[in-house]
Amino acid sequence: MNTTTSLAPGLLDEVHETQSAFRALLDALARPGEVRTLAPALPGVALGGAMARLLLTLCDEETPVWWQNSDPDLQHWLRFHTGATVAPHPAMASFAALTDVGSAPALADFAAGSAASPEFSSTLVIELPSLQGGTDMQWRGPGIEEQRRVALQGLSADFWRQWQVNHATFPQGVDIIFTCAEQIVGLPRTTRAVPLEEA
Amino acid sequence: MTNKTASGEVSARSTWLAVLARASLSELEAKRLLLGELPVVEQVRPPEVGMLMLRGRVGGTGNPFNLGEASVVRCAVRLGNGALGVAYALGRDKRRAELAALFDALLQDPARHQELQRMLIQPLQAMQAQARANRRREVAPSKVEFFTLVRGDA
Repeated sequence: MNTTTSLAPGLLDEVHETQSAFRALLDALARPGEVRTLAPALPGVALGGAMARLLLTLCDEETPVWWQNSDPDLQHWLRFHTGATVAPHPAMASFAALTDVGSAPALADFAAGSAASPEFSSTLVIELPSLQGGTDMQWRGPGIEEQRRVALQGLSADFWRQWQVNHATFPQGVDIIFTCAEQIVGLPRTTRAVPLEEA
Repeated sequence: MTNKTASGEVSARSTWLAVLARASLSELEAKRLLLGELPVVEQVRPPEVGMLMLRGRVGGTGNPFNLGEASVVRCAVRLGNGALGVAYALGRDKRRAELAALFDALLQDPARHQELQRMLIQPLQAMQAQARANRRREVAPSKVEFFTLVRGDA
């Protein structure tokens, strides 16, 4: 037999579970920095609950997914349940599943869209060790009243420098959804983030 | 199944999948009752209803044409031994797809394959062929032959 023996199930109640995941994602992107909670991990899927559910919710046959961890079981699982193909290069990805942000490609390597069609950019789903307890950053932008302190863990100073460049290329640029187990935090391209001591 | 399977196996499987897809719910339920204890069945993709675009060469020129949409139901289950059974069937009868997927998974089990072929696939296949032949015989008298004269400018 082949990989079908290890194929994990998808969502049991697909319609309602994807609807509630999508609602949580909308809220997370509308209120950058606020933590939203999705549901527990799926049995047999080696991904956090939030990441697995977001991929099942967002992907379809028109959205190539770039995998940082090219586990054939995971790729086959997503293909089976959504029809999403594997993007051979980050720049061709509609969505990117990143599980180790330290060794991930630069933000500029992903699709930023064009000035005429900024919506053709990549959306990055990044699993972090924790959504709190990291370097304190000050976030400002649409959806944030005044400012918000966010302390995501596992992100380097270099990442935040790349993010400033990404923010400056608005309306182009990538959007990011940080996940940790069941929780998510949205970081849309409209959000400006600076270290707290510089603010 | 994919490239790892020999093409002979693929065509054998597509044959039984086609038979299962055409079988009625009552036929499948009747055969299900004949089976004894089964391993645990896990639903990898619970039965779900969707739409398919039907295409056919219905025009005079032979180009593909979108005839219309049909509702289909599909399902994927896995048995205890790891075989994945899949089913697609026209209509919206979820139980029918579930049973067909179950039989597909069982047919991939070498220990059960021969018996299932004999008690399930072969009788259904014969019935379906018979029904098709009957229908052909019924409509054959209504066939009209058209003769076209050669056109002047041809």
